[in-house]
Amino acid sequence: MEELNMWLDFPIYASVAILCWLAASGLFLSSGKKVMNQLAAGLSFTGTAFLLIFITILWLHIQRPPMRTLGETRLWYAIFLSGIGLATYLRWKYKWLVSYSLGLSVVFLIINLQHPETYDKTLMPALQSPWFIPHVIVYIFAYALLGASSLVALRNLFFKPTEKTITGPIQMADNLVYLGFSFLTFGLLFGALWAKEAWGHYWTWDPKETWAFITWMFYLVYIHYRFRHPSEHKRAMTILAVSFAILLICWFGVNYLPSAQNSVHVYSE
Amino acid sequence: MSNENNRKTWAQPWSYREGTIVTAAILLLGFALQAAGGGIVLRVAAFPWNLVAGLVFLALLISAFVLWQKHQVMKWLGGVKAALPAILGFTFLVLLMGFVKQDVEPKSALVRLLGLTHLVKTWPFILINLYLMILLGIVTLRRLTPFSLKNAGFFLNHFGLFLVLFSTALGSSDMQRLRMNCYEDQTEWRAMDNSGKTVELPVAIKLLNFNIDEFRPKVTIIDNQSGQIVLNKGKNQFELLDRNALDLFGYHVDVEQFLESSGKVGDAYFPVNEPGSAPSAKVKVTKDGTEISGWVCSGSYVNQPEALKLNETHSLVMLPAEPRKFSSELHIQTKSGKNIKTTIEVNRPFKVDGWTIYQLSYDTEMGRWSNLSVLELVRDPWLPVVYFGIFLMMAGAGFLFIYGKPKNGGTEHVA
Repeated sequence: MEELNMWLDFPIYASVAILCWLAASGLFLSSGKKVMNQLAAGLSFTGTAFLLIFITILWLHIQRPPMRTLGETRLWYAIFLSGIGLATYLRWKYKWLVSYSLGLSVVFLIINLQHPETYDKTLMPALQSPWFIPHVIVYIFAYALLGASSLVALRNLFFKPTEKTITGPIQMADNLVYLGFSFLTFGLLFGALWAKEAWGHYWTWDPKETWAFITWMFYLVYIHYRFRHPSEHKRAMTILAVSFAILLICWFGVNYLPSAQNSVHVYSE
Repeated sequence: MSNENNRKTWAQPWSYREGTIVTAAILLLGFALQAAGGGIVLRVAAFPWNLVAGLVFLALLISAFVLWQKHQVMKWLGGVKAALPAILGFTFLVLLMGFVKQDVEPKSALVRLLGLTHLVKTWPFILINLYLMILLGIVTLRRLTPFSLKNAGFFLNHFGLFLVLFSTALGSSDMQRLRMNCYEDQTEWRAMDNSGKTVELPVAIKLLNFNIDEFRPKVTIIDNQSGQIVLNKGKNQFELLDRNALDLFGYHVDVEQFLESSGKVGDAYFPVNEPGSAPSAKVKVTKDGTEISGWVCSGSYVNQPEALKLNETHSLVMLPAEPRKFSSELHIQTKSGKNIKTTIEVNRPFKVDGWTIYQLSYDTEMGRWSNLSVLELVRDPWLPVVYFGIFLMMAGAGFLFIYGKPKNGGTEHVA
């Protein structure tokens, strides 16, 4: 039993991260004291760091990038989302946003704890490319940024803000969307360049490509709408929420669509 | 907004209403043309007519812009109020593609008539593409005059996308994708296109050697009655034979011996290296104190697979090994007189005389003993233009990343 299955250790790392993040959220939401906020930021960082350590060891252990299964992408998402939550807190001091993103990260970890999948160690030749890591990392990072922006959208749709209280959050949503959209564009184009090397064509309208393109178009609509109608907040937030729903179909939903059978992009479980 | 509501449709200045009507009209016209043509598959004309059409399009677009630059409609065409409905119209078609499986036989007469299973080659798709190109072209020209460095990000994003749409649409008919079956030690210069037509190439290829490097095989548990893999919580469970002990469904498996290439002699397997020899493993399986030892073998095109019966319900089986890497050593000779020896593999194609040679497949039945290598040969003369557009878009995305949203509703850099 020398080679212990790495995922057996996952509950330990995940529990530490979950505890850190829950404690951090609690502190962020309950306390106004500066020291407590700093402690919360530290805790939230510790949780993310623990997962980073786990994913590093996992990567070394399975000898391929851990980006192939849905469980693995959820892990990256939890890391990026918690990191982005903390970064936006440090930059804009929105405690509710960091708490939400930590909460979402916790949900992703719990899903992974509930579904201990068999983690496949093989990687088909088409995926063995220098493009693989940048393509997936850029996409997951884009998803995490856009996920954070959708939290802003949902909050503003449910807690009707006034003209005064919306300015800050909507600016943040814009910043997150612009960053996320640039990453989305990079991911899409990296994918095209890679596809040319691997399959001979840069774009084949594979179902995942189709849905990634639809997602890209929806955020394009948001950006143009915000540009032309800077004060129509409510509709902008609705567009943003719908865009994220499309993104989720692209990420998870495609696996279940009849149009997507035999797609090279379907994550293995 | 009240002004907008009182405005009569088609009275200036145009807004979303006209944008929606124009986009809807284009889509309806497209589907009508498609249906009228009986659901044919469209192709853009090949070289040189696509180039001519492209140049005429650019000339018309630029002269129209110069002539009517100040016209209200031209301003509208270069604005968000025409662009948003157009983007949504295009998205609508792509959404259809997201739900209807593409490139298959249509299931109903209506689907066939509207071309829903090959949407990218239909009238509505081509027309909405053309419309988007017109809008992108006009908005690019608008921002170029007068020229200002502040508009760099804007230019990169919009013109980059314009170039990508333009070159992929026009180049689609000049692109050739052919399959070539190469057998070891034979020279081949004929390949097949998508429709099954044989094409003779200016390139002759001799397959010197085909190699497969495989992962260790996986083992799993099957149900003796059904022969199906036993599911654990709705999922297949496999273990890779890359260590000495593993656990499957409560069975503990000790791997006592693993042979990468073996043949059966009597009741046991021995290392053999001849065509058709398969991986095998000697294992000891324990569960609840009972212990069973024996061989499992994945089998090949000449040898039967061997399962190890564990009890009345379950057996342990070895699955065929998956390829880690496959590659072809090629000797390539061209009409232009080139004489090259090279090795290609998946993700590592080789370029010669405008053709790119890809490793596509092999005889999967024979696995690593395959003496067939299936190559794909692609010629895509418009690719440099497409790539140029892609790099402009990447640079534009860089601007979005660095500068973000334009401040105070301004138009600097990007939007």
